[in-house]
Amino acid sequence: MEIIQQLWQSSGFALLGWKELVMILVSFVLFYLAISKKFEPLLLVPIAFGILLANLPGADLMADPAGLFGGVAQEGAHWYDTGVLRLIYAGVKSSIFPCLIFLGIGAMTDFGPLLANPVSLLLGAAAQLGIYVAFIIALFLGFTPEEAASIGIIGGADGPTAILLTGQLADHLLAPIAVAAYSYMALIPIIQPKIMKLLTTDKERKVEMKQLRSVSKTEKIIFPIIVLVICALLIPSCASLIGMLMLGNLFKECGVTDRLSDTAQNALTNIVTILLGLTVGATANGDAFLSPDTILIIVLGLIAFSCSTAGGVLFGKLLYIVTGGKINPLIGAAGVSAVPMAARVAQVEGRKYNPTNFLLMHAMGPNVAGVIGSAVAAGFLLMMFGK
Amino acid sequence: MRFFEEFMTDIVSIGAEFKDKFVNIPARLPAVLEQLPTALTGFIVVLSMLAIIAIAILVFSKVMYSFSKKKGEKETVVETSANNVAGATVSGTPLADGNSAGKLDLVDVDESTAAVIMAIVSDQSGIPLNRLNFKSIKKVEDK
Repeated sequence: MEIIQQLWQSSGFALLGWKELVMILVSFVLFYLAISKKFEPLLLVPIAFGILLANLPGADLMADPAGLFGGVAQEGAHWYDTGVLRLIYAGVKSSIFPCLIFLGIGAMTDFGPLLANPVSLLLGAAAQLGIYVAFIIALFLGFTPEEAASIGIIGGADGPTAILLTGQLADHLLAPIAVAAYSYMALIPIIQPKIMKLLTTDKERKVEMKQLRSVSKTEKIIFPIIVLVICALLIPSCASLIGMLMLGNLFKECGVTDRLSDTAQNALTNIVTILLGLTVGATANGDAFLSPDTILIIVLGLIAFSCSTAGGVLFGKLLYIVTGGKINPLIGAAGVSAVPMAARVAQVEGRKYNPTNFLLMHAMGPNVAGVIGSAVAAGFLLMMFGK
Repeated sequence: MRFFEEFMTDIVSIGAEFKDKFVNIPARLPAVLEQLPTALTGFIVVLSMLAIIAIAILVFSKVMYSFSKKKGEKETVVETSANNVAGATVSGTPLADGNSAGKLDLVDVDESTAAVIMAIVSDQSGIPLNRLNFKSIKKVEDK
């Protein structure tokens, strides 16, 4: 009888608290959204599984007995006693995973539309407005500047950038920020059209843009090198993200590293996505996740995202006026860096008002500019608040 | 019982924490004002940085253009990645309706099938046919 009692007491059922139970239910909801509703499934499935694993009591997959990650070291504990997910989490904490994801993104990105229309870069910059609006509101709500910066970066709509910055500045908020960032990216087709419609007139939405100029291969090869040099010299803290993004793009464009480009686009990105999603999810333990901060982060994320979209559209309207009606302001909304979802939304919305309109390639310019813009914004915030 | 007690204690503490977030907003004004210049500077930095890159691209493309003009380098065209259609590109100048340019290689594909494929690509991508330039259409055998 005593043995059975001991067995029960050491089992997960006896150790299960209400917070763990709620987190397990949260993981089920995320599984449903990812599998049934197909909301960013490549990331939400590993994140949900990470949440499930980390909240199974007694499994200690995120244990840090040796104090390697800032915890109190127990006597006689070795590094290899550390929970397996905590060890993998080193890839997030050290920024290796977000940087490798950026390498893959670079290898998948065609900067041609951006090179053909460099004004797109300004739209990509304007669509970072939400980062700073959310930063200020978060400060009002009592978050520290480091936490506020991490929350604000959700407005960049760039998952790896949000994870990198939060991992550096406020890693205790990593799970809610990652979940909010990826959830809103999946909800772009629902969030953006309303803001686009609200801020533009019928006439503006119908604007047909001129065909993009042709871009030479040489331009595409030299572009990543120029961008890296300019960005890294002006804001050195963004060199890791921009550097990897541009390296990936150089693999793609130079034409002599097809194998490297293929690996960066497929195998490497897939492996890192699994590890990144799993460990980010595993940081969502009940104590950290079930707090007022999480609810506020979800709300602030939506504000950040909406303001970024509005910033891009409003700058698009400015360009519409300056260019005498040659730029369709809808492409400004694609300045948030969720590639290529935001560009597709601009295309779909544009065609609703003018069925002969084809905005996709024009929207891809601000879209990829947004990736650079959010990395620069993250670099700036890292420079201001990083240790 | 323990489960329920823990739940009630935590809910009360979360509620108090949540209330504190909103009650103390006025008291946080000085701290926010202190960080306001950081936010403004951050936005200006992003705008300026991307503007610098835009200027660099403009200068660079002008140089490239004059250089390629001299060398007679043939420029490639921007690929339509809209539907990942291999071999279909958007041509710079639209042709008059009914006209065509260049040569289209048909490999194991008859002309009527090729016409249907081109029409589908045009419809799906939203690009008029007189702006699309097809290089080849090849039948891929099932393996």
